[in-house]
Amino acid sequence: MSDAYDALRERADAAWAAWQHPERPRIDIAIETSSLAGGAGDTLRALEAEIGRRGAAVDVGRVHGYGLQWLQPLADITWPDGTRVLYGPVTAEDVGLLVDEATGLVGAAANLAVGTLSGRRTGIPPIADHPFLAAETMGRRLLARIGHTDPESLDHYIATGGYFALDRMLSRHQDPASVRQLMIDANLTGRGGAWFPAGMKWNFLAGAAVEERYLICNADEGDPGGWVNRVLLEGDPHLIVEGMLTAAFATGARHGFFYIRNEYPLAVQRVRQAIADATAAGLLGDNILGSGFSCTLEVIRGAGAYVCGEETGLISSVQDGRGMPRVKPPFPAAAGVFMKPSNVNNVETYANVPLILRNGAEWFRQAANPAGTDIGTKIFSFSGDIARVGFMEVPFGVPLAKIIEVCGGMVGGGKLKAIQAGGPLAGYLPGSLLGELSLERAPFSKHSALMGGGGIVFIGEGSCSVDLNVMFSEFLEEESCGRCTTCHHGNQRMHEVFSRVAAGGGRNEDRHNLELVGSSLAYSNCVHGQASPTIMRNTLRLFEREYEAHVAEHRCDALRCAGMTRFRVADQSDPNLPAARDICPTGAIKGEPGAFEVDDSLCIRCGACTDLAPRGLVREAAPLGTAVPEQRVPKPPGVPAAAGRVPLSFQTTVIARPEGGMGGPPPFRR
Amino acid sequence: MPLETEATAEIRALVADLRPDDADMLEALHRVQHRYGYVSQEAMYVIADQLRVTPAHVYGVTTYYSDFRTTPPPEVTVAWCGGPACRLKNGAGIRDAMQAVLGIELGEDTADGRVGLVAGQCNGSCEQAPQVWVGERVVGRLTAARAVTLARALRDGADPASV
Ligand SMILES: Cc1cc2nc3c(=O)[nH]c(=O)nc-3n(C[C@H](O)[C@H](O)[C@H](O)COP(=O)(O)O)c2cc1C
Ligand code: SF4
Ligand code: SF4
Ligand code: FES
Repeated sequence: MSDAYDALRERADAAWAAWQHPERPRIDIAIETSSLAGGAGDTLRALEAEIGRRGAAVDVGRVHGYGLQWLQPLADITWPDGTRVLYGPVTAEDVGLLVDEATGLVGAAANLAVGTLSGRRTGIPPIADHPFLAAETMGRRLLARIGHTDPESLDHYIATGGYFALDRMLSRHQDPASVRQLMIDANLTGRGGAWFPAGMKWNFLAGAAVEERYLICNADEGDPGGWVNRVLLEGDPHLIVEGMLTAAFATGARHGFFYIRNEYPLAVQRVRQAIADATAAGLLGDNILGSGFSCTLEVIRGAGAYVCGEETGLISSVQDGRGMPRVKPPFPAAAGVFMKPSNVNNVETYANVPLILRNGAEWFRQAANPAGTDIGTKIFSFSGDIARVGFMEVPFGVPLAKIIEVCGGMVGGGKLKAIQAGGPLAGYLPGSLLGELSLERAPFSKHSALMGGGGIVFIGEGSCSVDLNVMFSEFLEEESCGRCTTCHHGNQRMHEVFSRVAAGGGRNEDRHNLELVGSSLAYSNCVHGQASPTIMRNTLRLFEREYEAHVAEHRCDALRCAGMTRFRVADQSDPNLPAARDICPTGAIKGEPGAFEVDDSLCIRCGACTDLAPRGLVREAAPLGTAVPEQRVPKPPGVPAAAGRVPLSFQTTVIARPEGGMGGPPPFRR
Repeated sequence: MPLETEATAEIRALVADLRPDDADMLEALHRVQHRYGYVSQEAMYVIADQLRVTPAHVYGVTTYYSDFRTTPPPEVTVAWCGGPACRLKNGAGIRDAMQAVLGIELGEDTADGRVGLVAGQCNGSCEQAPQVWVGERVVGRLTAARAVTLARALRDGADPASV
């Protein structure tokens, strides 16, 4: 150990001991993106006010939420004896109970208790026994500090073993090649979705002919429904800093960029803070811990472009330009940022590095899927129609059925219709495959899908596959950088076709045309274009009947597609009908109590009326010939309708049986 | 480079420490947008000068990213989450309802400059689905009916913090 590290450790240990055994009780509020969305800011303000009002002998601290996001805002109390209990949801109204509990009124907040984080309390089980965490069979490795430490505290990071491995590596003058080999031995693969061995990529960079070279941490996490990287960035930023430093040492890079998406402002703030604190402590910058090794890091904030997550798009973006993916080769290891050799890894890939350096390859490999092909643990985020939304860290190979169970099942006990893993490029699989699927690569690829970077969305019966394809194809179109005609036009076409099908104008040849678009997308430059047709193909193959019902029978069984459904007054006696009439944004509900009617040609199928009068109004399958509004956005008088952005679909006026219908001429003979 | 004015001098001071070929373009644009709410043509000229690229290049970058505006922002921006968890819970209906109330589409502002609607990206607070951001604040667990009420209130001048 270096003297510099020992000194840091001594200070950190003292701070950590005081955090674990505070002189007076401390209430920590989870402060991160999800808790803030749930009102943690209000909770914090109310708590501070309540403590001030009472003059209570209680302190306030900050943590990252433990992962049980449906219970946000999460909070915990630490007592001087080291007992620590997690509570949630703690709203601004509940803070009095927490202050009561903290100051000795045992049981005051018992109804909000989730589990003990340390020590024991009668009647409150340890957090590890929480059913949501039952799949975390290897414990938390990457998430070890989440919910325990203050993410903005360098002391907490160091006291819990942080920068230990880095210091050991530097003070022993370890051979950089052996660090790279260690990552290969551990079988650490890229967590950004491509699973390329990290150590091999590092070897490419280490072997570069040019001295000036760069590291990049890909924190663009653009897949909707995935927030694995966010948790690490906001919850344990120093872990990634240490991972980047280790990679820099191993590859000869002396400067690194964090590229963080603009949607994560708190992550930007915390990583910047971590860099500043580490620099001030001599852990970053010149002559790190007196070892002679130097490295600097900086944060670049993205600006809302999905393809900047693609590594060459990211490089273009860092390089002062439009973030358009480039043609490979040259690969980043040959010509990356400013055409200098560069290495891009995902946040979670870097986060694993200090753990492997500290605990060894063997330890890392203890966590694996049964087949031994996917090594390590992985953080996943789960959302959709499940009772418990949140994130957890599991070894690869956990059956998805188990995950649904720990997530509390489908909301309202409904059935699982589909699984959407890994974002808009990765796939869309039917719920009937649930028994075959587990959190590892092979079962997904068997069905021409991908597991992706860790976001998993469970979709219930109430949703429609065509409608979801409208959403995904719109995203893909919107996010195409525009370089390749196949990609920008192909995705535009795909979006148009699905929108038209959803609007009730599906044609027999659409299916063939979608397949055709799919095959031409293969000729796109980057994976954005190449993988764009994945969900569409999964849908046509695995949800064939549902798709065909839309086109051939004009039927949306989920009653989601605007062009095949209508709203109708079903029960004139519902006293909420006047409220429904008043909420209707288009004035489509006409008439008087006892004789209300919905004007189909005005109704945009938004559902506001059934929110208020679920008995009086129903959404039902629309008979052929039902009118739909000319435009989705009715303009107030005098304002011309915006051209261009109105999807084709909504220019249809009357639902007619698609030309050709069921028994029409086969595609391409016309 | 057009003549230096008080306005351009202020922008120049804002980006004075940024350097050519130093990965500073996004930082420059973020600073300007943070300060003024959008990236004006003037600002593009100043940034181009500072980073030694053409104004056309700066314009290209600014308009490539969806988070930069080239016109002054409305008083309040509502960002609608286009992500999957929100979609499952009538996210599309919520968008359509707000568009109908405001008479604008995603990406547009009301004629009086009061409310703007934009497409937002899922940030992983999906337990709040379906949601929108009113300014920075999440309004979650929405229904289409609540979205109508919210959009009407904003349209009619309500304090964004109160809706
Ligand atoms: C359209 C597109 C978006 C991507 N977005 C991300 C992303 O947000 N984060 C990420 O780590 N990788 C993303 N990737 C993958 C990266 O190109 C790259 O493979 C990865 O960052 C490498 O890191 P790893 O080897 O550690 O996984 C994306 C790829 C494509 C084609
Ligand atoms: S495939 Fe799409 S995103 Fe990729 S370079 Fe081509 S146009 Fe751009
Ligand atoms: S669905 Fe929306 S537009 Fe149609 S009647 Fe109901 S509230 Fe009005
Ligand atoms: S899908 Fe809307 S917040 Fe995630």
